Amino acid sequence: MVSWSLLVVPLVVLGGVWCEEYEEDLVLRPLRDGKVSSTFTFTTVLHGADPAQHYTLFPLPLGQILREYAITELHLSLNAGKWNYDAWGYPEHPAVPTGAELWAWMPDGAASTIDDRWAGLRNALAGLFCASLGSLDHRRTSSPVQAYPLQSSHIPSAPHHLRHATLPSEHVCTENLTPFLKLLPCKSRAGLARLLNPQRLFDADWHGLGVHVLSTEGGGVEMKLVVQAVFDPVRLSGGKRRDWSFQSLFDRTINAACPVASSSSVRVFLPEEQIFSLSPEPEPQPSDESQPRDESQPHDESQPHDKSLAIYDVPTLVSHGPLDVAMQWTTEHAFQYPPPLSIQRTLHGTSQAHGALACTLTNRGPAPLRVGYLETLPALVTLWAHTIRVEVGGVGRDDLLTDLIYHPSHSPSPFSSHSSSPSSSSSPQTHAHAHTHTHGPSPSLLQATLTLPPYSTLRLTAELSRAFLRYTEHPPDAMRGWDLPGAVFFPVPVPGSTDSASSFNANHSAPTFNHSARTDSTYAQTDEAHAHIHTLPYRMHTPALLADLPTPDFSMPYNVIILSCTLVTLIFGSVFNVLTRGWVVVEV
Amino acid sequence: MDPSSHKSGLKNPASLAFQSDDTRRLILGSYWVVILLALPFWWYTTSIERLSLPADRVRSQLDQEPRFPILVQFDTEQAGFNSAHIADVSSLLRKSIQSAPKRWHGLDLHISPGQSRGSTNDPYAYSIAVGASSEVGPRRHLTISEHVANSASRTSEILADLIAPYSTPRDSPIQEQRVAQYAPRYRLAFTLLNEDAVSNQSIIGWDVQGAIAEHLSPIIVKLSGVHNFTLESQVQFHAPLAFEPRPIGISDRDTFGLTQEDLTVFINSAEWTLSSSVSNDPVLHFVLFVPSADRKPLHILDGFGHPTNLNAFLLPQWGGIFILNTPSDAPAKLHLSQADLQPVFSAFSSQLSALLGLPPLPRGVTSADPSILSDWQLDALLRRRALENIRGTQDTLHSIVKLVDQINNMPVGRGVRDDVQDALAALNQAYEIAAASPLLALRWSSEALSLASRAFFNPGMLALLYFPAEHKYAVYTPLFASIAVPLVVALGKEVWAWRRNQRAQRESVQR
Repeated sequence: MVSWSLLVVPLVVLGGVWCEEYEEDLVLRPLRDGKVSSTFTFTTVLHGADPAQHYTLFPLPLGQILREYAITELHLSLNAGKWNYDAWGYPEHPAVPTGAELWAWMPDGAASTIDDRWAGLRNALAGLFCASLGSLDHRRTSSPVQAYPLQSSHIPSAPHHLRHATLPSEHVCTENLTPFLKLLPCKSRAGLARLLNPQRLFDADWHGLGVHVLSTEGGGVEMKLVVQAVFDPVRLSGGKRRDWSFQSLFDRTINAACPVASSSSVRVFLPEEQIFSLSPEPEPQPSDESQPRDESQPHDESQPHDKSLAIYDVPTLVSHGPLDVAMQWTTEHAFQYPPPLSIQRTLHGTSQAHGALACTLTNRGPAPLRVGYLETLPALVTLWAHTIRVEVGGVGRDDLLTDLIYHPSHSPSPFSSHSSSPSSSSSPQTHAHAHTHTHGPSPSLLQATLTLPPYSTLRLTAELSRAFLRYTEHPPDAMRGWDLPGAVFFPVPVPGSTDSASSFNANHSAPTFNHSARTDSTYAQTDEAHAHIHTLPYRMHTPALLADLPTPDFSMPYNVIILSCTLVTLIFGSVFNVLTRGWVVVEV
Repeated sequence: MDPSSHKSGLKNPASLAFQSDDTRRLILGSYWVVILLALPFWWYTTSIERLSLPADRVRSQLDQEPRFPILVQFDTEQAGFNSAHIADVSSLLRKSIQSAPKRWHGLDLHISPGQSRGSTNDPYAYSIAVGASSEVGPRRHLTISEHVANSASRTSEILADLIAPYSTPRDSPIQEQRVAQYAPRYRLAFTLLNEDAVSNQSIIGWDVQGAIAEHLSPIIVKLSGVHNFTLESQVQFHAPLAFEPRPIGISDRDTFGLTQEDLTVFINSAEWTLSSSVSNDPVLHFVLFVPSADRKPLHILDGFGHPTNLNAFLLPQWGGIFILNTPSDAPAKLHLSQADLQPVFSAFSSQLSALLGLPPLPRGVTSADPSILSDWQLDALLRRRALENIRGTQDTLHSIVKLVDQINNMPVGRGVRDDVQDALAALNQAYEIAAASPLLALRWSSEALSLASRAFFNPGMLALLYFPAEHKYAVYTPLFASIAVPLVVALGKEVWAWRRNQRAQRESVQR
């Protein structure tokens, strides 16, 4: 073999004009109901446009899909369970709807149309992640630009189009996690991904996978692979203890670092008022010049919030042996801290043809809360906009409902393809009507703004009728019913703070963000200025509903054939008899 | 009934106008007429659409084949070739054609003494001259050394190997099966696999673009008329084998070996993500496999279990694999430069040629520019691929016709019929153009093949296979049986009454 000219190069290979970077991060947050939320974020950044498809760290299968369908922004989430906002607060990544949710922003100007690319994207991702995303067809696709704005920092100048679809009945399981892990450079062999033990992950109370692709400067791409799970150490330990460790949560420890990760860290949010011990001792943070944490030392509640975070650098710790972060409480503790907004959504009605949809929103805060409300209902239920009633404490308050936009389901699909270029993102209502689909009804889209008075419960009801489907349109297992996607409550601009949502986002992205601390400060602020209307910091999703449609007896076609044949024969026989019978007089 | 009612003035029903036999027969007859008239409509609306395929043309196609004329001109102006010599060579070649007709399938060889090169108007003519050494040059020129030129048998062998390089005794059928099936577009996927990057040594990058530009671009550019290539590459850091390589004790170090059986299961498609599903183009894989530190060095064993010097092998129609044993004293994180990749990519380059079916040059003949393919090789490849496509099209079309003949329930729609007709038209185009340009013949044959396979896999042809005729009768019987019974009975009764009436009349006449 030729002489080796081996080069030792830094972790990030600077291969000329473009380079790739890989980071991994795990956030663990003990929740007040004893559960532990864990969020794995694997970020791969591709700097600069890659003219050919030559990837080192970026996964080739996903890169090909993004190139083939010219995707600017892609968000896919596959979740199981209901994110309990009441008990768990906001998730680390807001994409927590039940089932599968896929949305993509695509620019104009590629060879194929937006809808062809959307169909191709769905099918390609369905193949890649072994999920039934292929069934997210035009009957489930809508374009809610206001609730799902473009998030990329750098957006090409061409006008962009949004396609969004959800599939609430999708179940996430091992067959989705396996291809997901294959997209990571070190698979589940090393680094934080080592902890992703399918047996434990899918045993968690809530678990979900997410793929978030954003465009960055110069045609680059940032891909975040996210795994979120809420574990219940109380259940896992079989007792009343809420102590947890990597070993108890994941049945694994980290024994090797991924050699190509430029950073790999574990961050643990420390609860404030509890007496707990953490092992191993976290590294002292640069800003933390106060006394080092003692394992059994009670934590002072008044210390700054950025000190309520323990950070571990995985490569340095793993070089000394397997890393097993553990947290123990000497006393069991439970405390109530409901988030400002609690949402319940139900479907009532006893008849199979008609029903009513009800949303109950409770504002527990002292300030009025203004939220955007989005319903995307498949065409099999028809919501009647004139029956929408808003009540607070049994008194009708229709004035609290404003900015109602309703696109009823229509066939062929009339949903307006909102085009929003970066310059016109402030006025997303500029419609460019595009009758894109040729057959099948599109979902209906209801969007409104709700204002919730302080310390009150708002109840929104709307009547709906359920479609009577042809028997061939029913899916297998039709008796189960049809899943209706969850409603979305999203931030809206409120007077006083021109860009409240983005300021919340900026607050959130700070690494030392603490959920309980943020809500504290929100309330402190509201006590000063009572009149200020607040909005949500992130989108909130409600659980999916199950609509019970009138289901036929599926042996009906043959019964109908037999019955109608019998009827026809009877009629034919009597008419024929009357016409051809010979009457005679019989003398008796 | 009370008999007194009749006496009380009720009419005799036999005297009513509509109770006459003629009216009744008319009613019955009109029922039957309506039913008989409706039968053709019913038959037409419920039958399966089966358009007629040009079966005769497809069958007659089976015997046809394109003729590629090949004109070889011996340069007689320079010393070396005389007419006797040329006659010897051509008679030897003719003998070879007679002894191996399959090898010369579709080729029309013409040998003529000619003037110096370039004098002929035919751009596809091959010219041969005597020169200093045996080498193929540009513009279909071949020079052979004087030593070779003196031997007519050697000259004819070289010519035969250049013009019809396939299915020679050297090429066993196994080697023929290596060649990937023709596709107008290929994806070439280069993958660097670290068996285990975590343990200690790992290769974290490679200069794949430079290496491709140096070793593969010449072939890719030359073949751009035949295939369209898409290139892609990736690096994987954890790619375990599905089996344990066998340790073999050689000298003092641990060495590991891959037996011939191991090579067949080398690809661990469950763990390695080698390609995505984003397009349907066939993929040729080129895998650079770096064994983990405790499996190093990894050698390929020969049939007797002895390690060989070879470190690359080819999986027929799939791709090539190169096993790279990095030295144990190498640093923990390596980046492979273009120079490091030189042996790897020259192996990939020859594997790509083998997979695409590029013929090698005959022994003793070199190329004037070794980095590019000669026109001789390219023409041979074009003819071979065109013949392969035409054969494939003929077989596919014949299969369609046979299938449609065999399965009576199979619908044949307009799409299938049009595709079959277009494929036949494209085949005819390929035959006609074959004499003028092998490249255009290949394009037409590829078009014909894709049309024929589209017709064969037309989803409409499967639609009614799962809805058998018995099903239909189960639906119709409840209606038709119950209606038919009173109709038939009434008809029978009427016929019987009419005959009895006739007989009664005859008897009354006789009386």
